[in-house]
Order: sequence, then C-alpha cells, then structure tokens
Amino acid sequence: MSLGDIWLFLQQGLLSGLVTGSVYALLALAIVAVFKTTDVPNFAQGEMLMMAGYVALSLLLLARLPYVAVILITLVVMSLGGALFQRVVMERVTGSRGVGVQLVITTLGLAYLLRGLVRQTGLGDTPRSLPSLVSGDTVAIGEAVLTKLDIAIFVTAVVVMLLIYFMFTYTRIGKAMRAVGMNPRAAQIVGIRLSRIRMMVWAMAGLISAIAALLITPKILITPDIANIAILAYAAAIVGGFTSLPGAVVGGLLIGVVENMVGLFISTNAIVVAPFLAILVTLILRPQGLFGGKVQVKKV
Amino acid sequence: MNFFIKTALAAAAAVFALGAHAEDAPGVTASTIKIGMFSPLSGNAMAYGFDVVNAAKMYYDKINKEGGINGRKIELVIEDSRCNANDLLAAVKKLTEQDKVFLLNGGSCSGPVVGAREYVDREKIPLVMLNASGDGALYPPSKYIYGAFSISQHAVGGSMVQFATQYLKAKKIGYINHDDAYGGWNLEAAEFQAKKDGVTLQVQSINPSITDVTAPMLKVRAANPDVLLIMTYARPVALLIKKAHELGWNKPIVVAVNGTADVNNLVQTVGTKDALKNVYLQEVMLDVAGGPQLKWVYDMYKQYYPDLAAKPGYPQAYMAYGIPSAMAVVNALKAAGPQLTREKFLDAMSKTNFDSKVMAGPISFTPADHAAQKSAIYLKFDGDTKTRVPGSYASAWTYQPK
Repeated sequence: MSLGDIWLFLQQGLLSGLVTGSVYALLALAIVAVFKTTDVPNFAQGEMLMMAGYVALSLLLLARLPYVAVILITLVVMSLGGALFQRVVMERVTGSRGVGVQLVITTLGLAYLLRGLVRQTGLGDTPRSLPSLVSGDTVAIGEAVLTKLDIAIFVTAVVVMLLIYFMFTYTRIGKAMRAVGMNPRAAQIVGIRLSRIRMMVWAMAGLISAIAALLITPKILITPDIANIAILAYAAAIVGGFTSLPGAVVGGLLIGVVENMVGLFISTNAIVVAPFLAILVTLILRPQGLFGGKVQVKKV
Repeated sequence: MNFFIKTALAAAAAVFALGAHAEDAPGVTASTIKIGMFSPLSGNAMAYGFDVVNAAKMYYDKINKEGGINGRKIELVIEDSRCNANDLLAAVKKLTEQDKVFLLNGGSCSGPVVGAREYVDREKIPLVMLNASGDGALYPPSKYIYGAFSISQHAVGGSMVQFATQYLKAKKIGYINHDDAYGGWNLEAAEFQAKKDGVTLQVQSINPSITDVTAPMLKVRAANPDVLLIMTYARPVALLIKKAHELGWNKPIVVAVNGTADVNNLVQTVGTKDALKNVYLQEVMLDVAGGPQLKWVYDMYKQYYPDLAAKPGYPQAYMAYGIPSAMAVVNALKAAGPQLTREKFLDAMSKTNFDSKVMAGPISFTPADHAAQKSAIYLKFDGDTKTRVPGSYASAWTYQPK
C-alpha cells in the first residue's frame, strides 16, 4: 500500500464513516432517550427503522402518494405508533408490576411483530430503494468523493441532533424528560406525568426512526435485514455511555469511522466485528462509556 | 382357457409384487409416487424459489398427463422452507416422517439445504435439490444428495474467472465475495482457475449485511485490476455498483448469477443507468430468459399459470431452473423401473446424463460427483437490454477427496 493510498483511505474512510455514522448516531439517540426515561433498552429500534422504510415504500408504491406526502405521513405514523406502543402495551406491562426483563421482552415482541408485518406486505422479497430527494452526483472533498445525497444525510442528521439537543436543553418537555431520566419519583412529585413523558419519548423514538429510514434507505436500500443496523446503534450508545445523549452522537460517528478504517487498513472481513471490538475495548478501558461520567456505586 | 388362467395369475402376481414393493418403498403405491417439495414460497427470498417450484410442478403435471412413470402418477406435497435453516429442516422432517414421501425434491437456498444433510443421510432418503448450489451438501458427495442443477458455487467462481481471463483478457482480477461458506466455495474454485490461467486475484470478502461498501470498493480500486467480479447477493451487488460509479470506476464489472434474480430491480436500486454501462451478467441457462432457445419453457409457464404470467415481475428470473431438477427425478424414476426402491432410484441418479435444453451445460452425475451443471454464459447489460456474449465458460475445478 503506497502513501498515496493511505492518505486517500484516511480521507475517504473518515468522510464516508461520518455519513453512515450520523445515522447510527440518530438511532443511538433514540435508544438512549428511551432507556433514560423508561429504564428499558429498546430492542425493536432497528425494526422501527425498517418499518418506517416499508411504511414509506407502501405509501409510495401501493397508495401512489406524492413523495412529500409520503414523508409527512411516515413521520406521523411512526411517531403515533411509538406513542401508542408505550401507552397501550408498555404502560400495561409496567402497571401489572412488570419487571425490567418483561419490558425488554415486550420490546423484543414488538420487533418480531414488525418483522412479521413486513413479511405480510410482500415488499420484502427483494431489496428496494426509496427515491432520493437529492441527486447522486459526486462532490470531491480533498481526494475523497461523496455524493450530494451523502452530504444531505450528514447535514440533516446533524440538524436533527441539534434540534434534539435544543429540545432537551431549553424546552419544558425536554427538561421534564431529563427529570424523569434522573429521578422518576421526584419528577412525579413535582407534577410531571410519567406516562405522558414516556409516551412522548417513544413518539420521539418513532420519529427519529422515520427520519433515519428516509435518510439512509436511498443509500443502503431497504430489506427486512436493515433492522440489524440497530446493532451498530447499540454499539454507538455503549461506546458513548449508555445514558449520555452527546455520547450517543459521538459513539455513532466513531462507529461509522471505525468500521471504514478497520475495513480499509485491516480487512473487509473484520468490518462486521469492528463495532463489537469497540464495545469490548470501551467496556475494558472505560466501562461507563466515553461520556458516561463517573462510575457510581449504588446502595442496595 | 388355460392361457387365460395363466395370464390372470401372472397379472395377479405382478400386482402383488408391485404392492409388496410399494410397502417396501415409502411413498410408493401401485398407482402413485409421492414426492416432497420444499422451497421459499414466501418472505424476502421468495424470488429464489416460488416460480422454481411452479416450473417443477408444471413439468411433473405434464409427465402425469402423458401417463406417468412406469404406470404411476406423481403426487406432490409442497412445503414453504422460507430460505431459513430451521424452517427447511422442519419441512424436510414433516415430508419424511408425516407425509412419508419417496424422495425429496427441494431447496433453493444453499445454507439452509446444507443444514439438512445430516438428517437426510441418517434417514437415507433421496434429496434432489431444486436450484440451490448447496456445495456443502455435495462436496464430499453424499450417497443420498444430488444438486447444483443451476450451478454449484464452485462452478460459479471458476466460470467467472475463466470469462474474465478469456473474453475480457484480464490479467489482474478484483474479486468481491461473501465472507461465509457460500463465498468460500466460489473463491476456492476461482483461485484454482486463476492459478491455472496464470492471472492474479485481488479478493475482498464482505458480510452479506454490510451497510457501507466504501472500504471493499476503495481497496479494489486501489489495487487497479482489469475487471471486477462481484459474487454477492442482490443487495451488496447494487451497493457495490453504485459505489463503483461514485468512485469513478469505468472498467468491466461482471455480476455472478447469485445477484441477478431481478435485473429490473437492480437497475432501480442502483438508481442510474450510467453505472451499468460496462456490466456483464452471468447466466446459467443456455439463452436469455424468454429467448428463442427457452421459448418452450416460457410458453409452458404461460399455459399453466396464465394469471401469474400476466403479473409484472413474473415469471421470476430463476423459474426455468425448476425444470432440469424435475427432469432428472423423472429420468431416474423411469430408469429405476417398475419395481421401485430408493436404492434403485439412487443408482439411476448416479448415472444420469442428459441435455435439459434449459441450462448452459449438460446435467451430468457420476458416483463421485453429484453436482449437475458447471457451465455459464454471459450477457452484456446496459441497463435496458441484454446481449449474449458468444460461447460458454466452464469451471475447471473438480472435487479432490482430502
């Protein structure tokens, strides 16, 4: 490998990694937000992304709606779906004194339900693509090449992340979500309705899934297997510190870049192992994650 | 009168003998042979098997209408194996133990069908695959399993390298395959062929669920090969062709048959026909789908399934692959004679050699080689039309017991 190749690999690996990493970061944000407010790791996050893709595809191919309407309806459907799942299912499991493991199994149930629904549509038989709102023309950045779609994905993901940051920092709802994440009982005492906030967080998870699906599927195509992308989002959340929202963003970008660097400088066989390696290294060197704060010992 | 009694006694003895054998051979009666079929009939791998089963069904029906095999009609029991190892094994067990079929004729996905090998060997039930490559079930050969009617993965790899070397005059070949057993099989024969032809391979192996193909494509481009061979499933094929176009790759790309189930879909998912300007597709049939040499198969399909044939996307790309497998079963059943047993059927299978008039090469088995077909043709594709490249290209790799 020449020095020229190494320099090209570094540039292209970094830029392409940031693009895919920004989508992992979005999904990791949704996972962390749900976990912080409900104490439940959502194992259906990938399937929610997949479902959003197929909702959009169904509206486009079967209902033949204009793409702008498809985007709006997909965002609404996924948000409502997330909120309804929390209100109708999770709330009841919690109400019947469901412990953590039962709630986790409930999210797994949702994952299987969504996969089953997609199978019934018949759209999952071949890889499909949503139309891209941006052209696939290329733009040279240094020696690397990105498409306009890549740039649109990255910019949109960053804007959405900034909006989420703004919401958590400056709005009453965001502050209430953070309060529920820190201490649900205390939040309840000061008048925050836990069920409402949790519904909103699940709605946000659905909304983020829809945004991520609309962004990434024109690039990586839709198959039922794209649900597996959640594994990378989980890796991002763990690397960032499972309770840190900025950590989820940094973790996502890092995983995207690490995937490419491992593929370019070690082996393409190892790309799929890279996120797990990142998790292992993080857990050994800094178990609380990059932004997880100090390790806390709880009295039991 | 004496003659009449003798004849009647002989006929009774023959019927008795047939009945006795019917009891010996599961799934065989005096008037029927029960065959268990399985394939993905639903789900995201439906394109690999749904119409393949339909093709085999129509061929069996044709044989029944012509009087059956040695006086017996074929009776089919069909299960959906969904291209999933657990579903496939469940289907195989049901067909063997509950339906008590004489033989199994199924399998469109290699990985799952290989998973059934141990059970098939233990139950000593013949398994004639449909269109699965199934190299893991064919090498080393099992007495009970025959397959690769479309082509084995070993033959896919060897043929691709031979085409790149002979037709495209490549000296250095970029090769992207999957990092699973499937990819290992085609790479083994590709490396053998490359060594034989004196060319070098630049190999990048990727996971089938890869999301970002920047690394493999960039490494291939940096190695500067004369041609790129893509041996992956449909989704990575589309991602790699897109990425190649983005990175300014303009040399030939040859796509193995593994990723060409739905070419229209490939065009749509790649997004621009410019990316397909210098693409070749591997094809294991003797002609372009629907071409003059295969017209009889497509006419037959229209006759049997008029409603399906009228739907867009049908017949599916692999439809015709079901015919040679059913032909092999019928030929071997005929050769096994009226006193049908599984042993006789397996013996007849091991001597099968015929031209299916469907595939690029002959369907040929020996006791040491249970993979049927080893040749492929190539089609120049520009995003709209497919033009056949002259000649067919066969892998030189042969199984060597270790």
